[in-house]
Amino acid sequence: MNKLRLLIVDDSDDNRLVLRAICRKLEGFEIRDAVDGVEAVEVTQTWQPHIILMDIMMPKMDGFEASKIIKEQYPDIVIIAVTAVIDSRVEDNMSLIGVDIYIHKPIDRELIRYKLQSIGASLRSTFGGLKILTKKIALNPFNSDIRSFKTIFDIVDAESMMDFGMWLFDQYNGKQMAASNKFDKAIEVFYMLMSQGEKNGETMSIIVEESHEEFYITMTFDKKILLEQKLSDMLKEFGTEFIIQENIVCVRLSKPQHVKVIEKEIQKFGEKISETNTEVKATNQNIQEEKQEGAKEIRVIDSKERELLHQSFIHKTTAVEYISELGGDVIEEILDLASIDEEWVGILSIIENNPTEENFIYFSNAVLNVYVRAINNLFEFTALAYALSSLSVFMKKSAKVVSEDSEKIKMLIILLEHLGKDLTCWRKHIFILQDTADIHYIDSSFFSSCMQIEAIIDDKHVDADDENDMEFF
Amino acid sequence: MAKKVIIVDDSRAVIATAELALGEMIHSGIIELKSYLNPMDLLGALQSGSENYDLLISDVNMPQLNGLDLARAIKSDERYKNKPLIILTTESSDNLKMVGKEIGVTGWMVKPFSDEKLVKSLKIILGV
Repeated sequence: MNKLRLLIVDDSDDNRLVLRAICRKLEGFEIRDAVDGVEAVEVTQTWQPHIILMDIMMPKMDGFEASKIIKEQYPDIVIIAVTAVIDSRVEDNMSLIGVDIYIHKPIDRELIRYKLQSIGASLRSTFGGLKILTKKIALNPFNSDIRSFKTIFDIVDAESMMDFGMWLFDQYNGKQMAASNKFDKAIEVFYMLMSQGEKNGETMSIIVEESHEEFYITMTFDKKILLEQKLSDMLKEFGTEFIIQENIVCVRLSKPQHVKVIEKEIQKFGEKISETNTEVKATNQNIQEEKQEGAKEIRVIDSKERELLHQSFIHKTTAVEYISELGGDVIEEILDLASIDEEWVGILSIIENNPTEENFIYFSNAVLNVYVRAINNLFEFTALAYALSSLSVFMKKSAKVVSEDSEKIKMLIILLEHLGKDLTCWRKHIFILQDTADIHYIDSSFFSSCMQIEAIIDDKHVDADDENDMEFF
Repeated sequence: MAKKVIIVDDSRAVIATAELALGEMIHSGIIELKSYLNPMDLLGALQSGSENYDLLISDVNMPQLNGLDLARAIKSDERYKNKPLIILTTESSDNLKMVGKEIGVTGWMVKPFSDEKLVKSLKIILGV
């Protein structure tokens, strides 16, 4: 097979640039771009890509609509959804049209390359490293009645892990299944298990056993497994479909079923989602009301915030690595923020002398929102952009109340000055000095400070139930 | 005499919110709070003997030096081995906590922190 054709669909110029930079490092891919769903469909008809990296939120035609049209015409094209929203209902909907592979923002460069390499290798049909055995002794703790063969992958390096990823992908690709959309998550989990095992110098194997209906994928290690937090959270998603025992981790996956895509089913899903949304809103309203009745108000941390606060990355990216892959125009835009830092200080001193509601709102629009727009162009800093955007909304909402309270004005000005200095340091360490070993060194902390500032100004307590109790050792 | 608490965090905003949370303890003279933005500066001052503390509060992710590496360096020094050191971070992974525990860290608190819980914990540790 000649080069594989990879189409990158994203409405943001910078996002396309970043994805291109990441994919350029892969061998054997020819890459093209499209700026929205309409162009993606057009390019697909003339160029017929093998793989599409599809942004979901786009103007004109979104990623879901475009994927639906493309999958109907070309069911073999592999579509990978690129999204910041992790919503099981959206995933169910995508699964119905045959999209089961995801890349979540903020993106993990290594994981993207790993997925594309695995899929690419599978498409090229270059199998290797598999051994078929005939011994019928079940290793998995789920089911001893397995068929008479096993597939064993000796995980000695990233390449052998890729053999496994490509094998698993091949089992599910293009089957338009509803039975299991967990194989993509399984690929991620086993990849992370390998990364953890590799760090600890473990000898690892993956043994796949199967019954008529299910695959049992068991990873074996030398020693008892102590899971990293993120892994343990991911495995929880498998519920009873996963077992961990001493030195093995086993996941059970339903084999793919062929399901025809019917418009009505999708429509039904849409109706269910809107029903659920109404229910969720009603529940939130009730919670809110209950809280307000209580003596002490609490600044509740919702699930999206919790996720951004505790996000972790498999590989730490250094500032040097990050900048080397970033487009020049993006860097320029970030460096231009130096002028906004001046505005930040300038407007705060205006507010100090004239703390009107209008001036607080002006700070939100002229400073915070400009920062949000610039940081939004960077895939990796979702938490930072989200934090600033929430702060901007909060400032506008509270401008009137704060402007009438001299204590709060003073406090908010000081805290905003500190936040501004933190952002200046962030730009310095990542984009100018490039001296940090982890580009995400401040994201969560910054977000946490913004939440805390909101709580202070609102006279509330930030509380995460038991999560923020001091844990004594 | 006021107990000396040092907080090391690369974020000015975190230090400012901690100062606000501990405001009452500071104003009533129970504690004196000193802050460091760069863990290397603190480590240097402690090693040279020009700095000392009754309780150290440290972040984990800092550009110059990881808080757990800082804790390891401090805890290997006989002068500070038995002094309380708490970690205040957004990191909540059990694996990292385990590392902290092995180093000899006193406690682990997750950001965003509750003012009340921070004050309560400090009072327990300092016995005030």
